[in-house]
Amino acid sequence: MGDEGERLRTINEINEKIKRGDVVVLTAEEMIKLVESSGLEVAAKEVDVVTTGTFGAMCSSGVFLNFGHSDPPIRMTKCWLNDVPVYKGLAAVDGYLGATAMSETRGFDYGGGHVIEDLVSGKEVVLRAESYGTDCYPRKYIETTITLEDINQAILVNPRNCYQRYDAATNSSDRVLYTYMGTLLPNYGNITFSGAGQLNPLCKDPNYETIGIGTRIFLGGGIGYIIGEGTQHSPGAGYGTLMVKGDLKQMNSRYLRGASFHRYGTTLYVGVGLPIPIINMRVARTVALRDDEIFVNIRDYAVPSRPDLRPVVKRVSYAELRSGKVYLGDKSVPSSSLSSYKIAREIAETLKKWIQEGIFLLTEPLEPLPREREFKPLKVKGRELYVKDIMKRDVVTARPGEDVKEIAARLVEKGIDHLPIVDEEGKLIGIVTSWDLAKAVAYDKRRVEEIMTRKVITAFENEPVDVVVRRMSQYNISGVPVVDRMNRVIGILTTDDISRRVVEGGGVWQR
Amino acid sequence: MAKVKLIYSHRVVDKPILANVVLRTGVLINILEAKVNAQKGELIVSISAEGEKLKEILNLFREEGVEVQELAETLRIDWERCIACGACISPCPTGALKFKEDWSLEFEEDKCIGCRICVTTCPVKAINIP
Ligand code: SF4
Ligand code: SF4
Repeated sequence: MGDEGERLRTINEINEKIKRGDVVVLTAEEMIKLVESSGLEVAAKEVDVVTTGTFGAMCSSGVFLNFGHSDPPIRMTKCWLNDVPVYKGLAAVDGYLGATAMSETRGFDYGGGHVIEDLVSGKEVVLRAESYGTDCYPRKYIETTITLEDINQAILVNPRNCYQRYDAATNSSDRVLYTYMGTLLPNYGNITFSGAGQLNPLCKDPNYETIGIGTRIFLGGGIGYIIGEGTQHSPGAGYGTLMVKGDLKQMNSRYLRGASFHRYGTTLYVGVGLPIPIINMRVARTVALRDDEIFVNIRDYAVPSRPDLRPVVKRVSYAELRSGKVYLGDKSVPSSSLSSYKIAREIAETLKKWIQEGIFLLTEPLEPLPREREFKPLKVKGRELYVKDIMKRDVVTARPGEDVKEIAARLVEKGIDHLPIVDEEGKLIGIVTSWDLAKAVAYDKRRVEEIMTRKVITAFENEPVDVVVRRMSQYNISGVPVVDRMNRVIGILTTDDISRRVVEGGGVWQR
Repeated sequence: MAKVKLIYSHRVVDKPILANVVLRTGVLINILEAKVNAQKGELIVSISAEGEKLKEILNLFREEGVEVQELAETLRIDWERCIACGACISPCPTGALKFKEDWSLEFEEDKCIGCRICVTTCPVKAINIP
């Protein structure tokens, strides 16, 4: 088959064809079909450009705004749009509105992403700003309404968009998790995933031969550009990302949608589409990769670790994920996406039309995306405080058959509020709190097992205190028994222990 | 058509109450979901009746010691807002939400038990239960 890298056509030749109106453009889905029916050689010879698309939640998105000067002018030091804070560490009337900034009045329901959607749909947005007043900028407060048309520039600049692919999520724990990967039901109840797989832009040219700085793209319904690698660009493992920009004034709210993930936060759904010129056989081959040839990991979000350290439950293809059912062991688990395949398709179609109609010309990247990058975790200074550092080791416990009155006496005498109940091997089977005892006395109960709570929230000694604090507040409890892997009680951690530690200094961190 | 949750305590869980109600009223009751063990039973049913007739049926259950919860009618999906992302599909416990051939969302009303999981899950608030 000769050299895969040998040039089939140049960007200039393609642009000439676009201008003449005889360019051959297919969407990635159509290209896959053509390769299946006519073979790679024929498809590569016939097709000039393949279009791709994706429409998903892209948190690292936002818009640079220039509001123009009022008279008298103000050097805005704090600024809000519809009560969503705008980053103001810039010149007097410049600001950056990030997609995940949340409204100070509406919280999870409304954020930067929604403001961007409202602006793009032509709605009026309330601008409020404060300042301390200077000789050159005397005004201290301003409140007005603006529309996208009123402001000078609104430039979408997204530091990280368009993940090449993204690991899927599931949940092994016994409670519902609300995450940026959506609602994850307990006991591996479902699987969620993101990305358009066989339509996903970076998946279609994973060697970045046609993608780089200066590549003209479809962005949010308008024309945008790649301005470099995105943050967390991690090409080695196949998780490349893009940094993109475009003029918000050209965009369309069908492809820029504010969103909020329940109990997680707000974000922006962004539509991105890339044209992939078929410059050689290698690109022709990768552009025709199918869902069943693109793989990701399913990770367990029950483990509160860094995303890349969460245990991998299974490696699956997008085809399997998209089928709606994935087998985990012998259990069939429902799977569904968070990004829209339907709109991804629509984007690839739209871009194809633009190219066919001659309103979108291709660009030669000035520099390809880097093919190597190390993705470093954040170094944590000092050591995080673990449960074992502050838990009480001499735990007072009781047995299920004991008398409630005696137990009550023991709690009062030792001045404690939590009493783990254990079996003969020291394994945890319940817990009694001073509140339960008060109730027991009121209802005249005699034996501990009648009043104990059997479903006990516990901690392990190697868990960070931070994580356990979160668990306690989730369940609204003030103490947890610490157990080993055999469920034997080895200590107890209470909010008292934690607040004492915080008061003594150091918070939940050790320096 | 009404959707109702019937909660049987351990005292009545082994009695053929539902069958009796069907026989006495002649109204069809369709079981959508059932969780029964020795202590307790929970059924989600759809009852093909409205107004007075429905009230009568629900009272029959109550008289037999069954706790009755009327579930919200059904969902409303704002198709203008829906972006066909699919976030609501896999959390739905009954498979009432799924993709059509063209990857737009499809809602099968008959299967819905009004649990609201999809309402909180939808990132663009396209689903409502009135
Ligand atoms: S309310 Fe939503 S999640 Fe619950 S059953 Fe109906 S469609 Fe499914
Ligand atoms: S989660 Fe909302 S937007 Fe997504 S498919 Fe379901 S209804 Fe549509």
